[in-house]
Order: sequence, then structure tokens, then C-alpha cells
Amino acid sequence: MPPADSINGLSFPTVADAALAGNPSEIEREVVKLFEQFRDPLLRYALSLGIPVHDAEEVIQEVFLSLFRHLQLRRSRKNLRGWIFRVAHNLALKKLFANQRSQAKTTSDWTIAQEPFDPSPGPEEQLSSAQRRHRLLAVVHALPEADQGCLRLRAEGLRYREIAAVLGISLGAVSISLTRSLARLIRADGR
Amino acid sequence: MLSKDGQLSDVHVSDQEMLLAVDGELSTRRAADVRAHLAACWGCRARMAEIEATIADFARTHRQTLDPQLPPIAGPRALLRARLAESASKREVGSWWLLHFTSASRAAALLCAAVLIAAMVGRILANHFTLRGTSSIGAAFERSALPDSRLTPGATRRVTVTDVCSMAHEEVVGEVSTPLRHEVFREYGIVNAHPEDYEVDYLIAPGLGGAEDIHNLWPEPYTSRTWNAHVKDALEERLHDMVCGGELDLSTAQRDIAADWIAAYKKYFHTDRPLVLHSRLESVNVLGVGGVQPAPRQAQ
Repeated sequence: MPPADSINGLSFPTVADAALAGNPSEIEREVVKLFEQFRDPLLRYALSLGIPVHDAEEVIQEVFLSLFRHLQLRRSRKNLRGWIFRVAHNLALKKLFANQRSQAKTTSDWTIAQEPFDPSPGPEEQLSSAQRRHRLLAVVHALPEADQGCLRLRAEGLRYREIAAVLGISLGAVSISLTRSLARLIRADGR
Repeated sequence: MLSKDGQLSDVHVSDQEMLLAVDGELSTRRAADVRAHLAACWGCRARMAEIEATIADFARTHRQTLDPQLPPIAGPRALLRARLAESASKREVGSWWLLHFTSASRAAALLCAAVLIAAMVGRILANHFTLRGTSSIGAAFERSALPDSRLTPGATRRVTVTDVCSMAHEEVVGEVSTPLRHEVFREYGIVNAHPEDYEVDYLIAPGLGGAEDIHNLWPEPYTSRTWNAHVKDALEERLHDMVCGGELDLSTAQRDIAADWIAAYKKYFHTDRPLVLHSRLESVNVLGVGGVQPAPRQAQ
């Protein structure tokens, strides 16, 4: 099967190029480059699942060590971004279930108390903005987990087919989920 | 919305289609239809604006809430670099040694391997097969690469697809214990096995739910030129991707690989011989049984 050599049009050296070059440091460099590109989106996604920061960081380390082994073994490079998010999602859920710490969610998930206020608007605008955000967060929290996952993965730039692969659902289910969630957010905002 | 004959239709665009359109998930033709309708319909355009504004609100809130919690990247990046270096040094031993050679020494190694393999192939054929009549050398190679189904029917552990897909690479670190390896050799009647001759391999890979059980292990000869362990690795990866992609049932994947992994390879790669891409020894053409180049489009 011809390998796919791009992530959304970004070109990367092929596995064969790196592995056949017999130089593991090439793969190491590539993995670090991908880490720099995806660490923040992955960390945001893991945090939004309710995992404490240090656990989320550890999950992401595991993801990229797995990616290193994946590339060393010349495994498929087809849609590496989707692969990275899928592994991160699975490991994060595993960690979440392992932890099951009641305070984990409240300390690391979205909370209005942690939201920084934009210093530019006046106090009334700040309050209004915070209230809207609070309302939006409340609606998101009330969504089914799969719907929250779709929204958050989409917010990190994943395409529908990538979201479907990460969450193990169909393409149609992603589309319906996002539409349903946005409709609820629109209603909640009184638009 | 425009109808087929180009006339303006009264049917408005659904929220789902609007979202698909702004997300670039519609076909070009359908996206053009949606754009045309929006240009003509204020109501739908207003709805589209609401959707876009809500997306913007959500995206902003998502970032503003989570970004302040992100520690600087420098520390985790340094830690990853150290772990990668450690992982790379560990992998310098074992079956992947070939990858770490320079191109010149790799060529020399392949030449030596060619001679060694030719000698071993002769020995295996002499020991295990009597080729007469119509039986072909290719068929003999296939048989040597398959386990004895009475001794190694395959064994699985209790896993779900989620388990399998979340531990995509556990099989990489899972080494068969030495006592179990010896037991496998004993079972197959192999005395004084040389590590360079055989790999004790899982029939159903751990990544597909295979168990570390003697019924799932067999001594796979490295000397199999065509149907070797590297080719089987490619099949395992293919099946894993298909299972995790929802294209194939996990139990079907397990059953097919356990019944006859070579037949499964042929089935899932739509080829009668291993792709050159999957065979590490493609430059060594033993007895004319070579790999084939990948076709431009392989089975999806």
C-alpha cells in the first residue's frame, strides 16, 4: 500500500526514507517535530476530558513514544494526525477510568472560575461576556460525552473522518452530533 | 436551493448541510448549490451567520479556558527527547539491527544474508520437504511459514475493540518469555535451536487480542524468504487498522489470521505474493521466488 506522506497537506519524509536511511535520529527528530505541532491541541483535548495536567502530559508522552515505535516499525503513515489523536483519546480514557478521582474533573475541566477575563472591555461587558461563556460551558457539559468529544476535536481542527476514527463512530454520526450540539448552543445563547 | 434544471428551489438548506458546507465537508457540486441558495435566501443566510457566530464563541471559549492551564512545552519536550533516545538505544539490539547499519554495511550484510539464507533454505527443504511431482518450491515456502495447526491453533485473550485499539503497540514490547520459547521448540521437536534461525512468533498478534499461550506460539523460520515474519507484521498492521477503522470485525481478523495467515495476507492485500514493501529481504532473490511491487492502488 503506498504510504500517505502528508498531514493536511504538510509534507513529511516517508517512513521508508527515514527507516531505510538507518538513522533512528531522523525518526526521533520527526517525532519531536510532530510533538511540537500537536502537543498543545492534544493537551487541551485531554484536559477537556477531565484529566489532571500532569496525567495528561504523561499520556501525551506515551502517545509520542508509541508514534516513535510506529514509525520505527515502518507502519502506516496514513493520516498521522488522526492516528495521534486516536491513540491519545484511548490512552486518556484509560487514564481517566484508572484515576476516577472525583476532584479530577472539577480541578482540571472547564470551570468559569478559571477563566481569565479579557482586560480590554469594561466591567459590564466583562460580566456579560463571562455570563455568556458560563452559559455556553453549562450547555457543553450537559451534552452527551460523544457530542462533547466531537465538538472539542473539531475545535482542534480535526476533519470529520478523523473525528469518526478517533471516537469510533460513523462519519454521519459526527455530522449529526455537531449539528445537534451547535443547535443547542444557539438556543442557549438565545440567538 | 437550485433544482436540477437551475431554477431556484423553495427548499431551504438544513442546519446540517450548512455546517457541512462551512466545514468543507460537502462535495463541490453540493457546496455550490448551498452557496447559490444562501446568496438568494436571507433567512438561510441569517441562520448560517448564527451557526458561524456560535462556532466562533465555542472555539474562543475552548481556547481561553484551556490555554492558561497548559504548561510551557520546553520541559515535556526535553523529557520526550530523553525518552526517545533511551527507546532508540534499547532497539539497537534485536531483530531490528538491520535498520541501524549504514547503507554500505547494510549492503554487505544483505549479501551475507543471501548466502546464509540460501544455505538455510537448502537445509530446511532437505529436512522438511520432499519435493516431487507437481509440488512447487513456492508451495514449500508457504508450508514452512505456517505453523502446525494441531500444535498452534491460535489463542486469544478477552479483549474489546477499544482495548485492542488503545494498545496499538503493546505487541511491540511483549517478548515471549525464555521458558515458554523453549517449550515451543520442544513441542515442535526442534533441538538446539539457534536464535538466528527462528523467531518464536504469535500466530494471533497481541495487537489483535492474541494470547501469550503455547497454543498461539510457533517457531517461525527466519529463513522463509517469501512469507516471512516481516510480511506477517504487515498483515497484522493491516488487520489492526481495519479493525480499528471499523472495516473488519475483530473476531473475523483473529479467525482469518489463525486459520492461514498467508491466505489472509493474500485476501486483505489482494495479491498472491508479498509486496516488496513488506519484505525486508527483497534484494535477495532466492530460487526466483521474489516479492512483487505494490500496485498503484491497493485494497482499501
